[in-house]
Amino acid sequence: MSAKPVRKQTRNPGTRLWIQGLACGAALTLATPATVLALLLLAPALAALLLDAEPGRPCGRTTLLAGAAAAIGPVFRLWSSGGPVGSALAAASDPQLLLTCWLAQAGAWLATQLTPLVIRLVLEANAATQIARLRRQRASYEKDWGVPPAEETSPT
Amino acid sequence: MPPQSDTSPVPVSASPAGSGQSAVPGLIAGAYAVDTTHPLPQAGGGLQAFAVIDHRSGHQGLMAVQSERSAPPRANVLGAFGDWANNALLPPLALGPARSARGENAWFVISPAPPGPPLSAELHPWGERELLERVLRPAAGVLQALGERHITHRAIRLDNLFQAGASGSVVLGSAWSAPPAFHQPALYEPAYSAMCLRSGRGDGSIADDVYALGVVLAVLALGKMPLEGLAPDDILRRKLELGSFAALVGNARLPPVISDLVRGMLAEDPEHRPPPALLVDPIAARARRVAARPPRRAQHPLVLSGSTVWDARTLAFAIAQDPESSPRLLRSGNVERWLRRNLGDSAAAAKMAEIVHLRTFDGPVDDARADGMLVMRAVASLDPLAPLCWRGVALWPDGLGPALADAMAAPEKGSILPERLLELVDCEAAGHWAQIRPERSDPTVMQSEARHRRMLMRQRGWAGGLPRLAYALNPLLSCVSPLLGGQAVVRTSELLQALDAAAANAQIRRSLPMDHDIAAFVAARADQSSAANIASLDGKVTPDQASLLQLQTLANLQQSGKGMALPGLAGWLLEQLAPAVATWHNRQRREALERALQHLASAGNLPAMVTLIDSPEARKADEEGHRAAIETAHRIDATLRALAAGKTRRTESARQMGQELTLGLAVMALTAAVVAMVLS
Repeated sequence: MSAKPVRKQTRNPGTRLWIQGLACGAALTLATPATVLALLLLAPALAALLLDAEPGRPCGRTTLLAGAAAAIGPVFRLWSSGGPVGSALAAASDPQLLLTCWLAQAGAWLATQLTPLVIRLVLEANAATQIARLRRQRASYEKDWGVPPAEETSPT
Repeated sequence: MPPQSDTSPVPVSASPAGSGQSAVPGLIAGAYAVDTTHPLPQAGGGLQAFAVIDHRSGHQGLMAVQSERSAPPRANVLGAFGDWANNALLPPLALGPARSARGENAWFVISPAPPGPPLSAELHPWGERELLERVLRPAAGVLQALGERHITHRAIRLDNLFQAGASGSVVLGSAWSAPPAFHQPALYEPAYSAMCLRSGRGDGSIADDVYALGVVLAVLALGKMPLEGLAPDDILRRKLELGSFAALVGNARLPPVISDLVRGMLAEDPEHRPPPALLVDPIAARARRVAARPPRRAQHPLVLSGSTVWDARTLAFAIAQDPESSPRLLRSGNVERWLRRNLGDSAAAAKMAEIVHLRTFDGPVDDARADGMLVMRAVASLDPLAPLCWRGVALWPDGLGPALADAMAAPEKGSILPERLLELVDCEAAGHWAQIRPERSDPTVMQSEARHRRMLMRQRGWAGGLPRLAYALNPLLSCVSPLLGGQAVVRTSELLQALDAAAANAQIRRSLPMDHDIAAFVAARADQSSAANIASLDGKVTPDQASLLQLQTLANLQQSGKGMALPGLAGWLLEQLAPAVATWHNRQRREALERALQHLASAGNLPAMVTLIDSPEARKADEEGHRAAIETAHRIDATLRALAAGKTRRTESARQMGQELTLGLAVMALTAAVVAMVLS
């Protein structure tokens, strides 16, 4: 009796794109000023999201989340006040707000680029320390017990 | 006569005279000092003799006869003179090493000095009465006493018979410093002994001494040396062709009594000679007639390698003398036909046919050893009195030991002799030889001896071969190893002292202290444990094993001896032990071992060195530690390989961790912003 093939539970990318487009359309229709402001404030994150070719778009997501954290307050206030698109454009033209949001996204992006490098440096340093300690230990066995030298496969 | 030891009739010296370390010569048996500044010419019967100072009793009139290296003293007879009381012989009193006139160490046999000059000093015709009273009676008395002790003299000749001062009767000289009959000219020996290697004549029987005494009587009666100027081979051939009496006396006239006595004493068959007990009474001895059948003479001679033979005995000699072409002649059937048709001896012919038939079972046509066996059997069959004749070498089986000693100590005498001797041992020729002449020797005993000798020779490693056999069959043979620098080493205690002294020579110290000769010497003289160690020593053993085995062997000797400190030898061994020390794995333990060995070597304690370097517990701990170290090293290697291979994995991990970390921070910021917004 043969086992049934496991059916892969993956969402169709076309469907997801369709849902995302529907959500965007709904947001533009129902809350046009807030959506415009959000698009303007999160423009760098959206650009990063589009340009991130890595599976799961980790860089874009992190940048978007950081930008969202900065932009959520002004967007909510605009939405709560029920202001028109002009109000959205006026808010977006506030350099302080725009700079804050964009800097938050830039910082997040930079953090996604630098953090792995730093962590990698730490891991490599740790490995190098371990290798040095093991080599010293082996050299002492070679000297004290006449153990033959390490083979070519050992790291040099 | 000086007092003798209670425990051993012939005390063997325990003094370290052979060490060469002291300028004062050691005392033999704790009493006798050899005075090499006072040689006694003509006293040793052909060997060097010196005056002896008896430090115990002050007794005068002793001499020391020096043994040659290649001809050791007769160990088997030296202990049989405990209650000797016959003054007509110079018996051995003691034996031991002392400094020779040339400054080397040599072995000497102490005995009374001759009372007068040898008979050879002034040769003139002796009268019948003189011969009977002054020569025959005293000499026969000595031979009778020797015979009762199952000893032979084998050195009765004019230059070893001495005139006593007052009585004028003769005294038999020393015959103990060399193998039996070693210095006997062919004239004084029966044909079956004269044809042998001079070192391989064996102890023989008292009848051989009777023969030599008969020759002496004949010479003294004639007043001149018969057959003078003839080569030994020619004398032998004449004895074989004419018979001994006719060859020696010829047409000369001897006193009638002497003539009759000498005729009987020179009988070709030793069983036909009068025994010494009978010779003490010459008249009775004269009356004894043994009807010896004259040998058959052929109608036509057989020509063999240029020799013309008329009877079986001369045929046997001719065959023995030409071992290369004789096998072909024997196989062709010519000898058998000649025996049957010309000699008329069908029994001998049938036996010869049987021997030739046996040849087919011994090996292929070109097998030289099988041909040697054929010749040996043929000679023994034709002449049952003949010695063992093996491929041109003739000897009596009990003379094999001295023959080997002679061949080994003086290899320049001819390289073929040691090979021939080893061949005849390897083929157990003595056993086969005895089977052909069972009426003359016990084949069972001879086969057993031959098998034992072969077994000794075939011992593996350095415990076998010619040296082992030579030392085993010659208890008083000096070790001939060049490492000993010419010192006379006969006992293992002397060996250790000699090696200790040799350690001062830097050239000698470059090699291990035991070579093949020393190893065989120790295997022959020491206990079984040493022999087992030596059996492991050969060309295949590694340097560390060799040095350790030699240390163990020499330590056994030191332990079984007096335990005398040997700092020189210990230092020598310490240098050679470097490969063995290097087999210890742990560095600290190795360094500690070297320091401890150094300390023990300076104290000259070999057994302690063995205990230290060959401790099973320490060795086991070292081995286990080494195994654990190797396992740990392998684990380290595996970890290092894993670390080297983990670079890509670490990079990926760093990327993931970085992304997750920044994502988490972003989520936290968003959450905080939402909370702040809700709260505001």
